[in-house]
Amino acid sequence: MTLSTISVGDMHCGSCVGKIERALQGFADITATYVNPARRLVLVEHGDDTDPVELLQRIEEAGFHPSLERIEAGSSGQRQMLKRLGIAGLAMMQVMMFALALYSGAFNGMDDADRRLMEFASLVFCIPVVSYSAMPFFRSALGALRNGLNMDVPISLAIFWAFIVSLANTLTGSGEVYYDSVVMFTFLLLTARYVDDRLKARFEDTNWALAALPERALVVGDDGGMTPVPLAAIMPGTRVWVEQGNQLPLDGDVAAGEAAVDESTLTGESVLVHRQPGERVFAGTMNRGPGFELITTAPVDATRIAGIAELASRAQADKPPVAKLADRIAGYFVPGVLLLATATWIGWQLVDPAQAFVAALTVLVVSCPCALSLATPATLTAAMTRLRQSGIVLTRSEPLEQMAHIDAAIVDKTGTLTVHDPVLTRVDWLHAADLGRDELIHVAATLERHANHPLARAFRKFVSGDIGAPLTDVQVVAGAGVQGRYRGRLIRVGHARFCGSAEADQHAVFMSVDALTVARFLISDAVRADAAAAVDGLKRAGIEVTMVSGDAPERCAELARDLGIAFAARQAPETKLAITRELQRQGRRVLVLGDGINDVPALAAADVSAAVLESSDLVKANADVLLLSRRLGALVELVAVSRRTRRIVRQNMAWALGYNMTAMPLAALGFMPPWLAALGMAGSSILVMSNASRLLRQGTRPQPQADQPTDLPLLPAQAS
Amino acid sequence: MGILLLLIPLSVLLMAAAGILFLWAVNHDQFEGLDRHGFDIFEDSSGDNDK
Repeated sequence: MTLSTISVGDMHCGSCVGKIERALQGFADITATYVNPARRLVLVEHGDDTDPVELLQRIEEAGFHPSLERIEAGSSGQRQMLKRLGIAGLAMMQVMMFALALYSGAFNGMDDADRRLMEFASLVFCIPVVSYSAMPFFRSALGALRNGLNMDVPISLAIFWAFIVSLANTLTGSGEVYYDSVVMFTFLLLTARYVDDRLKARFEDTNWALAALPERALVVGDDGGMTPVPLAAIMPGTRVWVEQGNQLPLDGDVAAGEAAVDESTLTGESVLVHRQPGERVFAGTMNRGPGFELITTAPVDATRIAGIAELASRAQADKPPVAKLADRIAGYFVPGVLLLATATWIGWQLVDPAQAFVAALTVLVVSCPCALSLATPATLTAAMTRLRQSGIVLTRSEPLEQMAHIDAAIVDKTGTLTVHDPVLTRVDWLHAADLGRDELIHVAATLERHANHPLARAFRKFVSGDIGAPLTDVQVVAGAGVQGRYRGRLIRVGHARFCGSAEADQHAVFMSVDALTVARFLISDAVRADAAAAVDGLKRAGIEVTMVSGDAPERCAELARDLGIAFAARQAPETKLAITRELQRQGRRVLVLGDGINDVPALAAADVSAAVLESSDLVKANADVLLLSRRLGALVELVAVSRRTRRIVRQNMAWALGYNMTAMPLAALGFMPPWLAALGMAGSSILVMSNASRLLRQGTRPQPQADQPTDLPLLPAQAS
Repeated sequence: MGILLLLIPLSVLLMAAAGILFLWAVNHDQFEGLDRHGFDIFEDSSGDNDK
């Protein structure tokens, strides 16, 4: 079984997906085809009898330009697009100035010679725009003519026709010219497409799972010497050294010593796990303990993390495609216009043949779908600009349309609802000691300052300058805790066994005085400052929030109760994905918010995926939305903006369609002179643009709420 | 308005020059990685400024 990844750069729309799928039918041993229009990828699972080259040929016959490797980001395609855009922009500036003169000349009178000079100058600027800048539209439209219509067909038709008519009128010296419409229209559409392309390219990464790993690993030679070797060259069974504080480069078994590994990236559980020799450790996790040696068990592309990447890439490709509204409309619009223009011409031939050409032409000019094709991209661009001001970055524009429909949210706990910052949540006093509780906490805090352990940070608030008597004989016992002498007593702070407690609680720190266990400190990650407000906001927007965590149930329950949401604990990447899919199967639209690699498959399958700023790079690469501000409240704002965006897109669509529907019959009946058609065309576009720009207005931005400290309050057990 | 006969062709030439300059800039990587230099301060300087 082979999985071929084919990049199809010119796949723009939902309707292309169907075409490609149809093109790939008829191969006997294709078991599954995943088409992902957002990433412009086609993944084909097939047997060995199928040659990937045949697949390429078949897609090419369907009118696309596929390639077996993904198109690199920032490639020549991007550069080409920038040139087209720049040329169109420069030309637009000039043509608009001439147009202004021509318009005022039309009302106030103008020398015929001057008018023709301006028209010819406009023509000179318009030629490169039509013959170079607008090429992508023409090419896409030609391809579409063979395989069903898309929005580029009416766009090309409008550009081409308006230009040809203007050209004819310029040469004959009579009639209207539409050069300003041609260049403006081309420039605005190119801008929208350029922005979209750039976003898509930036967040595409050929092999993001491997990008998250170090480039090389230290391979231990027979003589004990170490050489850095690229990961791809390391075979299973190789001895690899992992330095303290470094990421594990490959899956493997611990060879010697004890490894202290932070597996939170894979499991979501923020606990150090200790692995004995022979036990398995995984690539992408962090070595928090001293350096150790592992024996690799899998090549780099068969590691656990690579498996998760694969799962994610399939989940994403498997997402139901969203047909764009505009493309669906284009399917009806284009034949309708052509039919009407033909009918007009035939009709006027019968009534008054002299009028036939002008009337048919006016129908075509009036039908220019400028406003229609600007309606969505202009609104989305405005919405994205608006969101960026609030620290919300969209990696592509489609999620914005999706976001408005979201009615369920799956939120990760560790690192998402919480931040990686341990706080002391509760102190249980187990036995009375002859030292005050206040004093004991300060002593514990002072001792913990010596410990180089993540949980020790939870005590930093309680360090006071003076604890009354000196601490002596302070000693850090590796893997156990810290001890010291205070007022003649032996004080120990550390894990259960070290402090003589029978309990085994990985998340608690114990304290003993002269071998008597006096206290248990419960420590958990601090809750993100506005988590509660954000969850509330989502609920008010009609979105059901569920916390899905890799952490243990008892550690999820309290937070879930405080936030008033349901939770599922101890979830693996696969089950997180399953939960997401199950909700989708029930017809829900799901938002997934996460930060860890274990969230990636669920993120990929989600209708909209969001990641917090602190996420690892590969999580960001898979997210539709990045929250740059540390506030989760940004999500609530995203929902609000997306809903307003949907409303404005609909208004724009309604206006654009309404205008075309009214103007076309009038033009067909000869009630509309060409100059009015041109004016209506421009006015319609301007209306749509200004409506979209309402999203940008500052006044509509909700005031950021003051950060309330929502650290869980210390329960009364704390000495006051 | 005879001056227009001079000024308008002149504007065409100027724009053509601007266009050529723009194409040159794109072809010479002037628009590549616009965000990149902001991150330069985080890079370890490999030059002579090291102690």
